[in-house]
Amino acid sequence: MATSPLERELKRGSTEVLILALLDERQRHGYEISQLIEERSSGTITFHTASLYPTLYRLEDKGLIEGRWVERAGQRRRRYYRLTRDGRRALAKQRSIWDTFFLALDRVAGIRHA
Amino acid sequence: MPDWKQRLQRAFDANGHACDADVLEELGTHAAAEYDACRARGSDANEAERHVDDLIDGWVRDAAELRRRPKRTIAVPPPVVGSAPLAGVIQELRYGVRVLRRQPGFTAVAILTMALGISATTVLFSVAYGVLLKPLPWPEAERLVRVTETRQGRTGRVPGTVTNGTFLAWREHPSMIEDLGGWRTLTSTLTGAGDPLRVPIISTTPSLFPILKVRPLIGRLFRDGEGASGSPGVVILSYGLWQERFSGRPEIIGDAVRLDDRPHTIVGVMPREFAFPDREARAWTPYDIPQVAAPNGALAGAIFRAIARLRDGATPAQASAEATSRARSAPDMGVVATALFGAVGPIDVSTVPELDAITADVRPAILILLAAVALLLITATANVASLQLSRATTRKREMAVRAAIGAGQGRIVRQLLIENAIVGIGGGIAGLALAAGLQRLLPSLLPVGFPRLDAVVIDIRVLLFALAVSVIASVACGLLPAWHTRRVNLVETLSEDGGAPIGGTMRSPMARTRGLIMAGQVAIACVLLIGGALLTRSLMSLIRADRGYDPVNVLTARLPLPPGYPAERRGQLLETLIGRLRAVPGVTHAAYGTGLPFVSNGALTAFKMRSPLNPSLDVEVQATLRVVSPDYFPAMRLRLVAGRTLSDTDTATTPPAVVVNQMFVRQYLGDHPLGFRIPQRGPRAGAVRFTDQNADWEVVGVVDDMPQDSVEAPPQAEVFASFKQVVLYGNVDPILVIRTTGDPTAYVSTLRSLVHEQAPTLALDSVMTMEDRVMTSLERPRLYAVVLAWFGAFALLIAGVGLFGVLSSSVAQRTREIGVRSALGARAIDIVALVLRQTLWIVGVGVAIGLAAALIGLRMLSAFLYGISPHDAFTFIAVPIVIVAVAAVACLVPARRAAKVDPLIALRTG
Repeated sequence: MATSPLERELKRGSTEVLILALLDERQRHGYEISQLIEERSSGTITFHTASLYPTLYRLEDKGLIEGRWVERAGQRRRRYYRLTRDGRRALAKQRSIWDTFFLALDRVAGIRHA
Repeated sequence: MPDWKQRLQRAFDANGHACDADVLEELGTHAAAEYDACRARGSDANEAERHVDDLIDGWVRDAAELRRRPKRTIAVPPPVVGSAPLAGVIQELRYGVRVLRRQPGFTAVAILTMALGISATTVLFSVAYGVLLKPLPWPEAERLVRVTETRQGRTGRVPGTVTNGTFLAWREHPSMIEDLGGWRTLTSTLTGAGDPLRVPIISTTPSLFPILKVRPLIGRLFRDGEGASGSPGVVILSYGLWQERFSGRPEIIGDAVRLDDRPHTIVGVMPREFAFPDREARAWTPYDIPQVAAPNGALAGAIFRAIARLRDGATPAQASAEATSRARSAPDMGVVATALFGAVGPIDVSTVPELDAITADVRPAILILLAAVALLLITATANVASLQLSRATTRKREMAVRAAIGAGQGRIVRQLLIENAIVGIGGGIAGLALAAGLQRLLPSLLPVGFPRLDAVVIDIRVLLFALAVSVIASVACGLLPAWHTRRVNLVETLSEDGGAPIGGTMRSPMARTRGLIMAGQVAIACVLLIGGALLTRSLMSLIRADRGYDPVNVLTARLPLPPGYPAERRGQLLETLIGRLRAVPGVTHAAYGTGLPFVSNGALTAFKMRSPLNPSLDVEVQATLRVVSPDYFPAMRLRLVAGRTLSDTDTATTPPAVVVNQMFVRQYLGDHPLGFRIPQRGPRAGAVRFTDQNADWEVVGVVDDMPQDSVEAPPQAEVFASFKQVVLYGNVDPILVIRTTGDPTAYVSTLRSLVHEQAPTLALDSVMTMEDRVMTSLERPRLYAVVLAWFGAFALLIAGVGLFGVLSSSVAQRTREIGVRSALGARAIDIVALVLRQTLWIVGVGVAIGLAAALIGLRMLSAFLYGISPHDAFTFIAVPIVIVAVAAVACLVPARRAAKVDPLIALRTG
């Protein structure tokens, strides 16, 4: 599927902010994140899990989130991610950018922000 | 359930992708969870597997993105948080060693520079401490004082001595001192145990040993009354002589030996560590101070050295006052005083602490050299600091990273100080090793007669000193760079372009500091070089000084004769020897005399006469009387100013003829000395009489002044008389003077064999060429000149290397600027001028400071300078020229490098 650069950037940007927002609540593992995105957007935002992990790794590399392996009794060893201080700051910034973006869209095109 | 991890691995492998084990595990967990979820939603195993396989396909397609970047390994260890502070220090030590090992060149230069500076400082400190500060090795040595007598401010002919009159008067009723001891140094021939041996002997009053509070190793000390004429001879041996000559046998006490052919009983042996007045002394004999008024009514004068022990609580000033008042009430010594002091005025006696008296000669020199070595150490330290600064420039980024990952200011400073401490301690250890080596060489490096050399050792104090110097120097080196890192701008430093901004020559604080250090080093080199050059030029003047005689191609030797050697036999022996020597091919003149510069003054004489300058005035004449054979004048090439020299026609039957020197003429005779008859009828002092005691002396010739030991000392009035016309009293050792056409040392064996042939029991003493005597007398000025010149050269080398370093790094940092300038049309010569301007600034400021400091500071050298002013213009011009030349060489390579900068490359890489 060919995507335009704008679409790709949009998607990438939105995926990042979604992940940061999910991790803002508590630490989660990759599978849980993918499930939650699907659940919460009621299936509207589906993104291939293929892009989940590269995004996680990129965020981790930027120092916005940090992952660590956790072993719980009777469960598989899983890698949990949580927001760093920088991540929290970045999320706040992203949120305000998106707010502004939607506000602008609303004004220009009458698209309402959910 | 399938093994998802394995399946993922296979899928990645099949598509030629590698995947981290970590990522593989995470994806495997995800796949398993997805599988479980599918099954939970009711899919069968195959369906669920297919679903997961689709997922895996997606991952494999994006495999390139599925990479966790490897964590960067941190080049700088993170700060230890919350552990003991010592743990951090050990870690930093280890890190410091690693950093230094990565830069072996820097480390070697830094440690070597420090080692040289520290070793020179340590050796000089050990000398200064051992010689000037260490207490003398006698109990309560601080109460020992040296006694010196002066009249009208004039010391005796032998400085630092007292007369028998003063000594006896004070010793009779002393209240400020416990006791007084006197001694003089003789050289005697020891026979009776093996070959005859010439040994330095100290003839001392029995009171000396109790004053020093020493005990003999075996046997006893002298008893009161021993040494008086007619009493049996006794001798105390030094440990060294006892070991060498008597194999250390204890039963030698009571044995007899012969000293100058007189029997002496060995009564004691001193301990190994006992050395008085210095290590040269091999034995001690008792000295009975003669009374001023001899039994036959004649006046007897004697001068010798004296030492006293102050009573508890007494001060040297009190002792001096007491001695002066006692001496002034002693019997008048009349013309004897004139002979000894050249003055008859009131006596003054001074007492100074023995330590000060022994070291008075060398104290100023040691202090000056100590100051010079301190300058050297400062310049060495500054050099290392400058090197550190230049490293700090390149290490800015490392420091910034350390700061960025949380190292506090304190930690960074500590790290730098620890690195410097390693260099400092390394330099200290190497320096100490060097110093220990130099220490061993000291006895051969230092002039003969340098006092208290045996007190110069590397002991705990010297070790502590070296350690302290190392630590202080290294901290000083480390503080500068540390102070500069204080204000590292993280963002600026960590950004990619770390090069110097355009026009940033000396504008960065670090470059400015390095420039200042360099100027200081140039200044120090300037001061030391000027000092060294002044002393060297002074030494040259001393060597070339007009001594009134020609020391080249002259062999000299003393022929000690045993006491009581008959005058007739002496005359015969000497005449035969001279005759035989004259017949030796290559010998042009052979002569003998009682006086020779550096060997012996000759006899002192004093008498009263009516002044030819003012007939109404009686003058006290004081002169040195040298009895010589006629050939003495041509042999020494003494310059005849007027009249004739003595000749073979002056004999016992002709009127007494004397040759006087110009000083004598100036002092006593005035414009018409020739033919003047010196009356000899009144009271007189001296051990020489003409055959006709009352006949006038006729002045037949005038010769140029001949300085005795030092050309710096004012010449003495001298009278020369012929051996054939005089009677010598007492023991006189004639000195042979032989002028040759070639190398005089070639005649030593001939001389020895001739002496042996004529008198088998006699041995020559002090065989030396006259040139060697002159050079030996200049050992101290030569040492000071050499040491200071070396210090100067070393400081200049350090400054040159430092300058090279500063300019090189400046050129390297300004490559981009130079590139821009070239690109804008600057020619190579403009670029070179750029570097030269910087050099000129540093050298100009340094030389200006150095010259000013030298003008002010080197005045203290004036006491050491002969024939040259401490502000000698030649030196003050030549030294800056040398410095500029060295600076030019130092900036040559950086300037060439700058001129060759390719603007394209510079702009691209800058």
